[in-house]
Amino acid sequence: MMTEDYIYLDYAASTPVDPRVFDRMRECSAATCANPSSTHAAGRMSQDIIANAATQVADLLNIDPKTLIWTSGATESDNLAIAGGARYRAHRGKHIVTMRTEHKAVTDMFDTLAKEGFEVTWVDPGPTGLLDPAAFEAALRDDTQFASIMFVNNETGVIQDIEALGNICRQRDILFHVDAAQAVGKVRIDLGKLPVDLLSLTGHKFYGPKGIGALYIADRPGCHVEPILFGGGQQRRMRPGTLPTELVAGLGMTAEIAAGRIDDDLAHLRKLRHALWDGIREIDGVTLNGDPNGFPGILNVSVDDIEGESLLLALEPLLVATGSACNSKSQEPSYVLRALGLTDLQAQSAIRFSVGRPTTMPEVEFAAGHYRAAIEKLRELAPEVVT
Amino acid sequence: MSTNPYSTRVRELFAMTPHAGDVVGAKAVSISDQDVRIRLSAGVEDGIVTAMRFRAWGCPHLIAGAEAACAALEGHAVAGLPMWTSADLMQDLPVPVEKTGRILVLEDAVRSLGQRLCDGT
Repeated sequence: MMTEDYIYLDYAASTPVDPRVFDRMRECSAATCANPSSTHAAGRMSQDIIANAATQVADLLNIDPKTLIWTSGATESDNLAIAGGARYRAHRGKHIVTMRTEHKAVTDMFDTLAKEGFEVTWVDPGPTGLLDPAAFEAALRDDTQFASIMFVNNETGVIQDIEALGNICRQRDILFHVDAAQAVGKVRIDLGKLPVDLLSLTGHKFYGPKGIGALYIADRPGCHVEPILFGGGQQRRMRPGTLPTELVAGLGMTAEIAAGRIDDDLAHLRKLRHALWDGIREIDGVTLNGDPNGFPGILNVSVDDIEGESLLLALEPLLVATGSACNSKSQEPSYVLRALGLTDLQAQSAIRFSVGRPTTMPEVEFAAGHYRAAIEKLRELAPEVVT
Repeated sequence: MSTNPYSTRVRELFAMTPHAGDVVGAKAVSISDQDVRIRLSAGVEDGIVTAMRFRAWGCPHLIAGAEAACAALEGHAVAGLPMWTSADLMQDLPVPVEKTGRILVLEDAVRSLGQRLCDGT
């Protein structure tokens, strides 16, 4: 996506809304303003719109529409799954497990539960960010009742082996949550086959509206969450509050569009990522952070002895991220990259390029050239290291 | 309220750095502190700074500040450098308070270079 002023390469932070999604939202907004909890005719129309959206999302994930709970986005879905799931299982054990490279929406919730008396084990990934299932299994105990592992990492694009990790949890009857905010609509996910109990998703990461997400709760014994919001009986009392009909309809349309084009999108992203990496891989001291076989929409790179803030400014008009977009105002080095073994300096120089459906090959070629020029400029400016 | 961390002045100074480099054969100082590195060199004739150059590794405010300082100090008396203060620079750019330490490294470098030039060391 290029305008006169910038080139947007931050699709892992957010994506533009597909025009067909806008159309669907406008259409629903014009059709009815009624509260979907109302029992009159207009309310029932809103209920039908929501039911249709649930079917669209369910088709994308191969699940029963009744297993979806609408939320305000992935952060709320993560919070509900983790707090609600761990508390629901607390009478059976208070040991919970997650990974150091999870999103803040997960790690902060685990920290909150630790203050409530839960015992948290933080599992470390390997140097590419991949979690070894054996290391995960070794962290589990007899009193482990809940685990949360993300599908696609938001900073590096690393894709975890959810099937292997989920199977380990199933064998031990551990509630298994997956933060799939960066995965849904972008990689094929078949929850009819994957051993996942709870899965978080959000609309704006795959060309849908902001402010709407969902939590999948598997329909199986022992799989349930306690509410974290109170004030009504909506959504089986697990998530009260009036549903935003237009946003739900928009998310449904987003899912339907994604279902029809995931493979084409992936092929497009692979070409772009390949060209981008090819354009910068020869720079002296450059490192690809993460797994080379990760999600192709994300390319995270560091370069030796370059100051990250100056690099970001020198890269304008490219709109990219340093570390997590949700945390990029902070000058603290990314905890995700630190967990992969990068030094503070390497982590601070890390740039996350994330490409999307609208990204073109000329944009990527320009980005690679501009990155090379920015590194060259900053190296020319720098003095020798004073010893 | 804008969250843009850089003023137009900082952006301009960062983008165009005609004073980047070294004055070949001239006296120079290098300082590494506060997570930044800076090197200043200056050519002098008849007690006047005729050319001043910098090399810097650090945030955009440091690079912009070094460029502005070099430009401003050319034509000034060497005798004034040991007392130079970055206060006006901090205000002009402007520099956020959390980066004060980095600009003070620049101030130290200017003063140190001035002292060397005055002492002839």
